[in-house]
Amino acid sequence: MTQYNIIGTRMPRVDSRAKVMGKAKFTADLKLPHMLVGKIKRSPYAHARIISIDASKALALPGVRSVVTGKDTEGVKWGVFAYTRDQQFLQTDKARYIGDEVAAVAAVDEDTAQKALDLIDVTYEELPAVYDPMAAMASETELIHAEYPNNINIHVNIDTGNVDENFAKAHYIREDTFTAPEESYFQAEPYAVVARFDSDDCLEVWCPNGGPHMKSKPLSNSFKIPLHKVKIRRIAIGGAFGGRSEICPADYICALLAKKTGCPVKIEFTREENTIGTRQGHSMITTHKTGVDKEGRVLARETTCYMDGGAYSSTGPIATSVPFLSMEQAYRMGSVRYNGFRVYTNKPIRGMIRTHGRGFACGLDTQLDMIAEHLGIDPVEMRLRNSRQPGEYTSTRSLVGSCAMDETIRKAAEKAGWTEKWGKLPPFHGIGIGTNSVQTGFPMGIRGGSQSFIKFNEDGEATVMSGVVDNGQGNENMLVQIAAEELGLLPEDIHLVNADTETTSSDPGSYSQVSTFVGGQAVKNAAANCKAKLFDVASKILKVPADTLAAKNRMIFVQDDPEKCVPLKKVVRVALTNFISVNAEGGYWPKVDMKREWVSNPYGQMCEAFSFGTTIIEVKVDPETGQVTVLNCVACQDVGKALNPLVLEGQFEGSVAMGGQGGMLTEYHEWRDGRCLNPTMLDYKLPLACDMPPIHNIIVESIEPKGPYGAKEAAMSIAMSAAQAYAAAVSNAIGVYMDSFPVTPDKILAAIKKKK
Amino acid sequence: MEKLDLTLNINHKPFDVRISPNDTLLEVLRDHLDLTGSKESCGEGVCGSCTVQLDGKPVRSCLTLALEAEGAIIRTVEGLADGDTLSPLQESFVNHGAVQCGFCTPGMLMTADALLKENPDPDEDTIRKALSGNICRCTGYAKIVEAVAHTAHPQDQCPDCASGIKSCCKAKE
Repeated sequence: MTQYNIIGTRMPRVDSRAKVMGKAKFTADLKLPHMLVGKIKRSPYAHARIISIDASKALALPGVRSVVTGKDTEGVKWGVFAYTRDQQFLQTDKARYIGDEVAAVAAVDEDTAQKALDLIDVTYEELPAVYDPMAAMASETELIHAEYPNNINIHVNIDTGNVDENFAKAHYIREDTFTAPEESYFQAEPYAVVARFDSDDCLEVWCPNGGPHMKSKPLSNSFKIPLHKVKIRRIAIGGAFGGRSEICPADYICALLAKKTGCPVKIEFTREENTIGTRQGHSMITTHKTGVDKEGRVLARETTCYMDGGAYSSTGPIATSVPFLSMEQAYRMGSVRYNGFRVYTNKPIRGMIRTHGRGFACGLDTQLDMIAEHLGIDPVEMRLRNSRQPGEYTSTRSLVGSCAMDETIRKAAEKAGWTEKWGKLPPFHGIGIGTNSVQTGFPMGIRGGSQSFIKFNEDGEATVMSGVVDNGQGNENMLVQIAAEELGLLPEDIHLVNADTETTSSDPGSYSQVSTFVGGQAVKNAAANCKAKLFDVASKILKVPADTLAAKNRMIFVQDDPEKCVPLKKVVRVALTNFISVNAEGGYWPKVDMKREWVSNPYGQMCEAFSFGTTIIEVKVDPETGQVTVLNCVACQDVGKALNPLVLEGQFEGSVAMGGQGGMLTEYHEWRDGRCLNPTMLDYKLPLACDMPPIHNIIVESIEPKGPYGAKEAAMSIAMSAAQAYAAAVSNAIGVYMDSFPVTPDKILAAIKKKK
Repeated sequence: MEKLDLTLNINHKPFDVRISPNDTLLEVLRDHLDLTGSKESCGEGVCGSCTVQLDGKPVRSCLTLALEAEGAIIRTVEGLADGDTLSPLQESFVNHGAVQCGFCTPGMLMTADALLKENPDPDEDTIRKALSGNICRCTGYAKIVEAVAHTAHPQDQCPDCASGIKSCCKAKE
């Protein structure tokens, strides 16, 4: 096994020192000279035509510098794909959900801005609204978007063929429907954006983001200015979880106000705005029909899913596909037919979220448990009989390279004491297992690759430039570790410049779990190219061939004779003196099927690697109150290679909290006529320190040949499998298979009562 | 609204401020004094991101009027370290990987610091209860609880206690 100096160590993160000192600057912490406060006026109606907007009273208020409406825009519509451009950043014709942006104001202070919002007079004509996907499809009232019949935004159809034939061969078939409502990210940092136009008419923006290059392009489109004039800056980000992957209308609105006023403008969202005005997770109604042979091996599956997409497309085609893809990666499905419908409703916009389709995944796993019970098979064995194996193709024809799915199942089961506990626990005491798989990236076209540039300073330290952004998961530390390992430097010798669209090259962003695999690999390649140049110079100094050299701890030395060495700093200085460049670039473009498309062609190589995770949960349910106490958690994932176990464990533990503890016990939104009734932390129940069970992390390393040092991704398949395991454990404890998630006390009590 | 002049004692230094009577302590810290370490996350006293200490007790600065803090010894996250030297609690947070996005970290530290001053030997249950007014969305709390527990009692078998301040965390010369 390759020995590394920095890779694989429990190195504390490079960004944590500034964070514990309160020095790390987040967007809301920024202050610029002459900065104004921006605020957004949002629609109070779920569906209404905008008849007129009168801003005269607001403009007359002392301290108000500008009011903007849809008429001040270039009318450009945003959509992640060319075929989903349906969202204006300021609405001109109608509002489609409670919270849709209709106007905005910039003023000298917050109180004035707030007063001005109330003085903007918007006349609406209310329209009939629809609030759930089934009603929306059947609705005969005005469509939410005229060009989408039946309010169907996206239809993904996947069919491997032979589905009906294989159902005919099945020994046992069952069909079940599962539901789950919307959930929200509740990032610690409420959304905020600061924007200004500089003296060269360049737009400069600071905001939380899942990828700065995914912000700059839509802003360039909306203002009709070239990309080099849009400078998204690096700033500390207080969490994303998929909710900050896209442009936010506030980014554009803030920039528009800055343009109109000639001053920097800051918009800070309230907690309610962060819930309503960014993104949410889709609610879903999923029907799985599964046919198995006598041994419980799945021969055929048909899945139909209706997703409430809210008012606009957002990442619709991706969000409609990923719940299915995660499961087709985790399990062999035989023949399969999938129909996913994302339907417009007059509710806030739904996008990507860490647990893609909790109702979908928990339903599929619950049904496997039902089938296992019918056939008298242990759930662990049931999973081993259907689990993904290395070297196989998924149903949508992606080759799976490294895959230690079975090892994660076996190790988790052993650690959790499955054999001793399954079927032997006292009443209202249960154990459950979930398994899942996530993709490391997907075809992203022009933005699918990442490039890095590394320059050496005369003191032997290196500046590493990368487009990779850190949302809190530790991406910056990952880049520093890789650069230091590859260059033979120490982490403190690396100065990182990242996530800045002016200085760093294109990068896919920190979604689809791709930062390490693509962005990290780009830095690794750039560093390798630097090292080759350094070794050329060092070989002349040491008078040995370059290919005999290695670098470590700031020294370049002969591998077989480490005493023969030269400080790296000296090599850099010799290079500079001799007019030789030791700076270098490097990039990484994943080899995926570029013809694969979410809707028109959902087949072909999706990404280069998949991670696999298993979580096992043990619970006790109070039959009087329906309260669930989680006694134990084992989280086990095939991560490829653990670049930093300390960081990885933190990702596992956070995933259990969000996917399982919150996602399957307490987190969901409630609605009345399109209005979210629990948008704040007071009434949306997030897991607390006292709620969390002991978590046992097991890291499995399958060493992915295509990943940097063998790495894939960290903990997404834990977030997903944790949700499934929580659901299964509660079902096991009460002896009823739950089909509505999350499993809240009221549902648990109702299930217990019905069973009696 | 009529403005008021008052002097606040923050991190052992006096600060003269001119405020409105309805300004919260958090607004004064962040907007008037540029002490932006204390964060606003929920704005209604639920999440604990804005936690500071008044006379050693953790309080929500988003629910505390600046006026109420007059005469008290106010301590914020900026006052935990001694110059460039981190407090043992801060160091423990760094070494145990208790920091991810870092937005809840200042409030978490102020609550934990107050706990350790009151009870230098808390068990895990006590730590979890004490931190239950501070919401963290990233970590699942495991590493935070460990960092607090190991501040007072470094563990020989803990891989993250053993080495003290690790190389990357030393302030650059």
